[in-house]
Amino acid sequence: MNGFEGLFGHVPGYLLVFPLFWGSVLFFGLAIARHLRIFAAVRASGPSPLAEFPRRVGGIVRYTLLQTKMFKDPRAGLMHFTIFWGFVLLTVGTANIVTGGVIQAILSVPASGVLWTAISAMQNVVAILVLLAVGYALVRRLITRPRRLAYTRGALIILGLIGGVVATELLAQAFEAARFGSIPGAFLADALAVPLGALAPAVLLGVFSALWWAHIAIVAAFLGYLPSSKHLHMATAFFNVYFRKLAPRGELPAMDLEAADASFGLRTLQDLGWKDLLDGFTCTECGRCTDACPANLTGKPLNPREMIMGLRHLAVDAERGLDLIPNSPLIRAQAGYDDATPNPGLLASAIVDQAIPYDAVWDCVTCGACVEACPVLIEHVDKIVGFRRNLVLEDSRFPAELTGAFRNMETAGNPWGQARSTRTDWTTGLDFEVPTVADLAAAGQLDEIEVLYWVGCAAAFDERNRKVARAFARCLDAAGVRFAILGQEESCTGDPARRMGNEYVYQVLAGGNIETLNRYGMAERTIVTACPHCFNTIANEYGQLGGRFEIVHHSVYLQGLLSSGRLRTAEAGEGTRPGRAITFHDSCYMARYNNVIAAPRDVLGSVAGVELREMERSGKNSFCCGAGGGRMWMEETRGTRINVERTRQALATGAEIVATNCPFCMTMMKDGLAEAASNAGGSVSAADIAELLADSLDPAVATGRHLPVLQ
Amino acid sequence: MRIVVLVKPVPDTTGQERLGPDLRVDRANVPAVVNANDEYALEAALKLVEAAGEGDVTLLAMAPAAAPETLRKALAMGAQRGVLICDPSLAGSDTLSTVRVLAAGLRRLEYDLVLAGADTSDGGAGVVAAGVAASVGLPYLSYAARIEPGGGRVVVHRLSPVGYDVIEAALPALVVATQALGEPRYPSLRGIMAARSKEISTWSLADLDLGDAPVGGAVATTQVVTARPAASRGATRVIREPAAAAATQVVEFLAERRLI
Repeated sequence: MNGFEGLFGHVPGYLLVFPLFWGSVLFFGLAIARHLRIFAAVRASGPSPLAEFPRRVGGIVRYTLLQTKMFKDPRAGLMHFTIFWGFVLLTVGTANIVTGGVIQAILSVPASGVLWTAISAMQNVVAILVLLAVGYALVRRLITRPRRLAYTRGALIILGLIGGVVATELLAQAFEAARFGSIPGAFLADALAVPLGALAPAVLLGVFSALWWAHIAIVAAFLGYLPSSKHLHMATAFFNVYFRKLAPRGELPAMDLEAADASFGLRTLQDLGWKDLLDGFTCTECGRCTDACPANLTGKPLNPREMIMGLRHLAVDAERGLDLIPNSPLIRAQAGYDDATPNPGLLASAIVDQAIPYDAVWDCVTCGACVEACPVLIEHVDKIVGFRRNLVLEDSRFPAELTGAFRNMETAGNPWGQARSTRTDWTTGLDFEVPTVADLAAAGQLDEIEVLYWVGCAAAFDERNRKVARAFARCLDAAGVRFAILGQEESCTGDPARRMGNEYVYQVLAGGNIETLNRYGMAERTIVTACPHCFNTIANEYGQLGGRFEIVHHSVYLQGLLSSGRLRTAEAGEGTRPGRAITFHDSCYMARYNNVIAAPRDVLGSVAGVELREMERSGKNSFCCGAGGGRMWMEETRGTRINVERTRQALATGAEIVATNCPFCMTMMKDGLAEAASNAGGSVSAADIAELLADSLDPAVATGRHLPVLQ
Repeated sequence: MRIVVLVKPVPDTTGQERLGPDLRVDRANVPAVVNANDEYALEAALKLVEAAGEGDVTLLAMAPAAAPETLRKALAMGAQRGVLICDPSLAGSDTLSTVRVLAAGLRRLEYDLVLAGADTSDGGAGVVAAGVAASVGLPYLSYAARIEPGGGRVVVHRLSPVGYDVIEAALPALVVATQALGEPRYPSLRGIMAARSKEISTWSLADLDLGDAPVGGAVATTQVVTARPAASRGATRVIREPAAAAATQVVEFLAERRLI
């Protein structure tokens, strides 16, 4: 007799459910509140909760309800999807128990109890599915052991708790059915009850009670364990997805260098925003980031998962001295004992060398594969650049070889330190003139250009990439596109400086370029560039400094010229060779950061006789060439070389040409192919899509410019 | 430890054509930077002050009026203040004039040690530091690979063709720095911001009581008679072989010419 006859009257000691369950809920709430006190102690900056509400809700649907990112690994995705939705559906039963049967009482009303019967049947099915999923997860953890997982005891405890909570519920129901008679809807429990009927009623009651209470005890233990476990993502992933970065992924956080007492970049926990800590508390250690990281895969110290978990450990460390139930303001005032405010010393512990080794900070190619891979939308790259900013701007602590690149960008306006006067040397050998904007402006002909070609330093100074610039110019000329260049007035966009943490040099260079572009009215025109890094910075980052320009990457621009018929390729047979196997290496900053994946393939597809072979990692899952994030100007001394690994992947397709759409990728693939033992004799070569297109243009359009040459 | 570092703004050599059509250094059109060797001297000075835990670093330069912006870059590395000697009649000065002017400037400063770079990337005479030491009457310690001040004296490890000489002098003294002292630091943003408000004093010849002194282009004791382009280098031979084979060929190439 416990007042819940008809519902839980047969459960011995049922009333103890209330203190046990709700007590554990209280503990859970207090433990989360203690985490939140650290959140409150860091920088207040973070996304505003209501800005872009529909987009944020859309993200919840995609990433938490449908879990689209999880399905990049289909089997693990299905396993997780089953456990997630199974948990949600099974919660109905548990919620019913801990509320004294209110839910059952309400849901039994419609259609004289048919609804509740259906729910009971559904729960039986779901329980079996979840148990299968847990079984699969255990096989992975204990037997197949994929590389990316972290083999911690915590993961096994969580799986044990999930399996236990579901199994005890189902089995308790079976013994309940055996002892007290069939349960409407619970057909599996009823079926299991049949063989149990032979046992004595007292045994059945005893086992039922034990299982029933085990179920509740596991639920309570789960709530108690959750706040300190990797499974906390159950509570945080929803918020992390909701508050995700909505700015273009290639836009690094803005930075005010004139702020008088600011600390620059990220040094301690206090320099992080609360969203950064939320990232840490959302990480599930699934290792998808590390598994996608080119630096990690080539044996370097960088491990994105360990960095994010390191931030979380620092935050948890900072909770030392904070009691679960803080003392009252009265005691704080009178006894001077404060256990509610985090210890400033713990908040001020340095991140670099604790959460992430110093070397690992510099290993990052900012390729964004980790960010792309993360199912709960953690932002790794912005943090790493934040650490670099602090090291460069505050401590001048960075790999020695960067000094030259920084100085060259500052004094010569390009990372190579080449003379400005040689910026137009690449045009030598073209059979048409490439005018500069300054010349056209002086002649009053600036209005006649269709696009400004932003050449970029690599194409202007690097011998191999100069050929790409000439090929692209030939394509523009063949299509009758009137274009001009900035010539000596062009400077590095500042992308390498920014990604190496030198925001000061970035802002000097970017400010100069914005001023130049605006002076010639380029905000009203289209800019085209063959460099994904220039593209990303001008398109996504110059806005922070007031520069708003329309810029198109050459892969998209060429695709447009082809589809509008302004460019035509030669038909197969007229000197073309059929069956040329080409593999396309996606540049991170086009494919992953700016979603340009189809355009370069369309351009290649227009070349007669091309057979496109995809690498295993392509499109948004592309593997960096090793030169992003300023790595172009750093020695690669740790681990093996990233470009060698990518070259291996490219050669594995059996292609004879590795096509690129980025000057840095070009350099890295060219070097990788030259060194590859399996490419003896250099039969496989690297080529930009513009070169392949320029060489296969219809002779009718490929000859000569349709426009009068500028005098 | 109060240190004065002699610095010279020179035309930037990275990524620029620094000669005009007359083959003379085109100071008007080429942006100026701090002479690279002087940065090594400044780095050494900053390290000595940091090690001593007290003192300051003053930059002393003789340069045209546009030089303060260049000096700010050196101040951003950590020097406390700059002194710029600037006078229209100094245009066209030769090294002798420069020595006289810098010596006069030094006499108005207080210091324990003077540091200078080995030479400059524009004129390249490499005699100004020695001239200043002689003119002011300071011990002159050249080609320092190591500088150890203490007890009113300074010990310098001077690079020699076979190793180094350990030489010693009483302070104040003038020491010529070399690149062996360590790479110049890259200024932090805090340093760049702080440099904006650091003091740069500008002294004219009158301020130095050199109003009637024989300095400037008019009394230059040396003059450029003619300038010719350098003979072009011969064709470059690039050896594309595995490392071991390439090394053998390089050695053979050098040995044939009796260079090794």
